[in-house]
Amino acid sequence: MTTPDTKVAQVAMSRRNFLGFLSKGVACAGALIGAGGAVGAVVSERGNRAFQQNDEQYAEAVNNPPKVPDYNWNDHKWAIGVDTDRCIGCLRCMEACKMENSVQMDANHYRTWVERYVYLEGANTAVVDSQSDPKNIENTGSETKFRFDNRYKNVKVDKAFFVPKLCNQCEHPSCVQVCPTGATFKSKDGPVLIDTTYCIGCQYCVQACPYGARSFNESRGTVDKCNWCYHRITKGLNPACVEVCPTGTRIFGDRNDPESPVSLFIRNNHVQVLKPEMGNAPNVFYKGTDKEVV
Amino acid sequence: MPKHIARLFALIVVVALIAFSVRTFLIPDSFYQYGHYRGAAVAEIAAKVPKLQGSASCLLCHKKEYEVWTAGIHRKATRNDAVQGVVYKYGPGCEVCHTGPAGNHPSKQAMPLSIEDKVTSITHHEHKVHPANVPGRNLLLNPQDMRGLCLNCHEKLAGRPTEQRQIDVATHSGDELCTKCHNPHSPRIVFANLPPSLRGDAKAGKAVAAACAGCHGETGTSANPAWPNLAGQHANYLVDALKTFKSGVRQNDMMTPMAEGLSEVDMRNVAAYFASTRCVVTGGDKVKAELGKAKAANCAACHSAGGLYGKGSAGISGSSAWPNLAGQNADYLSSTLKAYREGSRTHAVMTSVAKTLSPLDIENLSAYYASVSCK
Amino acid sequence: MEQVFEHVTPYVGYVYPNETDVPWSQLIVIYPYITGLVAGAFVISSLYHVFNIKSFAPVSRFALLTALCFMIFAPTPLLFHLGQPTRAFNAVITPHWTSAMAAFGYVAGFYLCLLLLETWFAFRADIVAMSKVKTGIMKKVYGALTLGSDDVSHHALAIDHKFARILSMIGIPSAMGLHGYVGFVFGSLKTREWWSSDLMPVIFLLSAVASGVGLLIVLYVIVSKFRKTPIIDETMRGLLYVLFAGITIVMVIEALELLEIFYKAREGVDTVKALIAGPIWAGMAIQWIMSVFVLVVTSGLLLFEVHGKRLVNWLFLCGLAIMIGVLAMRWNVVIGGQELSKTMKGLLTFYPEVFGRESLFVVGVISVCPYLTLWLVTKLLPPWADGKEAVV
Repeated sequence: MTTPDTKVAQVAMSRRNFLGFLSKGVACAGALIGAGGAVGAVVSERGNRAFQQNDEQYAEAVNNPPKVPDYNWNDHKWAIGVDTDRCIGCLRCMEACKMENSVQMDANHYRTWVERYVYLEGANTAVVDSQSDPKNIENTGSETKFRFDNRYKNVKVDKAFFVPKLCNQCEHPSCVQVCPTGATFKSKDGPVLIDTTYCIGCQYCVQACPYGARSFNESRGTVDKCNWCYHRITKGLNPACVEVCPTGTRIFGDRNDPESPVSLFIRNNHVQVLKPEMGNAPNVFYKGTDKEVV
Repeated sequence: MPKHIARLFALIVVVALIAFSVRTFLIPDSFYQYGHYRGAAVAEIAAKVPKLQGSASCLLCHKKEYEVWTAGIHRKATRNDAVQGVVYKYGPGCEVCHTGPAGNHPSKQAMPLSIEDKVTSITHHEHKVHPANVPGRNLLLNPQDMRGLCLNCHEKLAGRPTEQRQIDVATHSGDELCTKCHNPHSPRIVFANLPPSLRGDAKAGKAVAAACAGCHGETGTSANPAWPNLAGQHANYLVDALKTFKSGVRQNDMMTPMAEGLSEVDMRNVAAYFASTRCVVTGGDKVKAELGKAKAANCAACHSAGGLYGKGSAGISGSSAWPNLAGQNADYLSSTLKAYREGSRTHAVMTSVAKTLSPLDIENLSAYYASVSCK
Repeated sequence: MEQVFEHVTPYVGYVYPNETDVPWSQLIVIYPYITGLVAGAFVISSLYHVFNIKSFAPVSRFALLTALCFMIFAPTPLLFHLGQPTRAFNAVITPHWTSAMAAFGYVAGFYLCLLLLETWFAFRADIVAMSKVKTGIMKKVYGALTLGSDDVSHHALAIDHKFARILSMIGIPSAMGLHGYVGFVFGSLKTREWWSSDLMPVIFLLSAVASGVGLLIVLYVIVSKFRKTPIIDETMRGLLYVLFAGITIVMVIEALELLEIFYKAREGVDTVKALIAGPIWAGMAIQWIMSVFVLVVTSGLLLFEVHGKRLVNWLFLCGLAIMIGVLAMRWNVVIGGQELSKTMKGLLTFYPEVFGRESLFVVGVISVCPYLTLWLVTKLLPPWADGKEAVV
């Protein structure tokens, strides 16, 4: 038997429960919509589209390309091949890049760089350094004279080689994925570009790049990255690093043209990409790398 | 609904409306044109002006250097090379070494930086004065820098592919600058490739050679085995020898006054003359020569034809900066090596090499080289 | 010789050249720390409002104000860190939803509004009363805050109560969401082995709750001493339960995360070991010593049924310890993750700047601001019921 008192309490209770239920329901629905939207956004990015590009925008990109003189981004699909067997570690590429793109002249900002892998006699793993290694800098006595020192002169070396690095302009760039504003984006012809007038400098993309290709330009307050010299390739020139490479280590070309140097390079060699497990699908193809190359 | 709740909702709605319209107003014009970015940014980035201009642009002003480079090995390497169908464009063009000038050229002060730095146009060929105070590098004027530049590619370094020509600095040149022997625009020392002005005129040289004939013979074969044969010797080496006599680096009672009387053109001409004459093998003791042959492996790196560049006949030096030894007088050779050993003659490489040789080694080596064919 | 390596981070092994400039500095250490304190304080407030746990009644309004004041300053470290702070709103104007960071403006803004509304409902009766008592400029301020309505009838207050409850209920998932989301910003990065963990949001969330409770304990004890009011034993026991629950689960999950890294022993696990033994050993030591201290002391307090002055003293120490421990943990995660190179072949050692835009000095200033603001806000809206039961 219930007394009127408890009945009132029950009614009040149930109303309160209902209210609680309602608000929970609203909160959950909101969370679901939010999560669903985010998942949908992520899932729909695969394929050849850029992140968050809808059909209309894709059509616009095809029909009304950016107004670059004598250039249509629909006609090209740029790629770079790197034949590490030819690299002599002269660092001309890196210096040309720093000049061409006004990259900060110090030892911790690079758009491209070269790594040296050395297996000492009997070793199973390689000793790695780049031009910004403190010993290399002490050797030249300046942060802005880039050069590999000759530290392995008097030791026995089983195998050694150089590996040039640059932005991979991935098909699924994690940097573009994590940019909160849309200041960095993948252009239709391949390169991932930065809109330096829109970048807020949060450096989330620097964290997200698996290849360490991005750096933060303190003087501009924005992030800097290799864009395969987009201003050169849209004028029919090679990227600066490819232009100055004296040994032909870097091969640049258009994958839409089956006879372009890079298409031939990829077709005729066994090529690899770096860190394939990241799922970024890089567009720089390496020939002759090694298990130790990261 | 109580008044305060109604007002609160009204306040929230007003704030939300303001926020929404401000947001709409602030979205840049071309945003969302092609995707989630400012569509106009693509053309802006593409509009940046390239700085590296390519070797062809250097030709407009630096014709002479360009010609030397075109004739030389650095140019040879820039030819497109197809391996397995892949066209390799390689070899150092101008801007490979001259990245500095490209960066602040032609104003010598500065080139504009990039679009990020608000400079949008540059007229390259008109030597305009561009904004100063931008970071750039100086022109390559310091010889020490020049040496570092060569070594960027040519220092013997673990990891460099063997196809790349590399030198061990200490044994190759010591403290000498690369430019002493090499023209950086055409570093392989091939006489025939040098422009005529640097080559010397053998005909004109014949007249000068008359003064030498007393000792070195009319065609460069010396009368006395203590004096060197000059016939068929590298002209570049002969010029260098005369220059060292003239400057006093090398001392010889006969040669110093002779060299002092020669102009640089005379030196080139007379060197060209003796280089063109037929060499003669003077020969040496056969037993000693056999023993010397075993010891000659050390010398072969420089004093065998091809030298760095390949295999060839013994005693014919790969670089025209180094003397041919084939068929040279045994007495002269041994006295030279002794001079290096004792220090009365010095050379970055030869001094240290000679110090590793015993007097017997010197006899044997001299006999060996004296009996090698000089053709 | 030119100055070599002016601002480069020293390292051993091999790191990518660009990594020598550590992108996220100590400012990003205190950002999740401050948001964490918000989450913890808010949970205590909600435990009273939603679950009606009476023991938290004395501190519930104070907890709400604490959450609000810390939330106001949660985005400031980010603003100081941005290369272009004036463009900060670009992320709100054109949010790129695939980015874990894009929602930050909305989530934080939403949560801040929620806190403001809840505070308003919780304090409305007081505001109305104050608008009648005060004179001069303060009368105008309180008048504006009432939105021109002095309806404090029983009916109106009942409605307020309901709204506060609903907001509180939305607030719990939001607070969890906000902080779990901060963990997601780190945990979703596949590039950094030290961050890339599914447990990261949970760890962030639970340690946030623990540190927030610690903050409340510390503030409650200090404020009570200053106001010379008695510290209510029941409240302290309640806080003790929450703290114990929090620290236990946090420690278990953190231990699980470390165990997983070592047990899976993927490529580079040796570098991870070297990281713990090397650049962040001090941080790890502080984090674990403090955690163990808190766990042991809270267990003891529970086991021996400690009450009164001893409870206050020990719990105060626990509160301080957990705050320090969680700060160390944030350092270990944020800085540690960047000290472990993406190459997995090298370790950097980060040395913070002392003065400058991104420096310890700025961190200190930003850390003090919420406390000052809280002091000012308690002057404006006194949260203490002082004997009476709380209004809401």
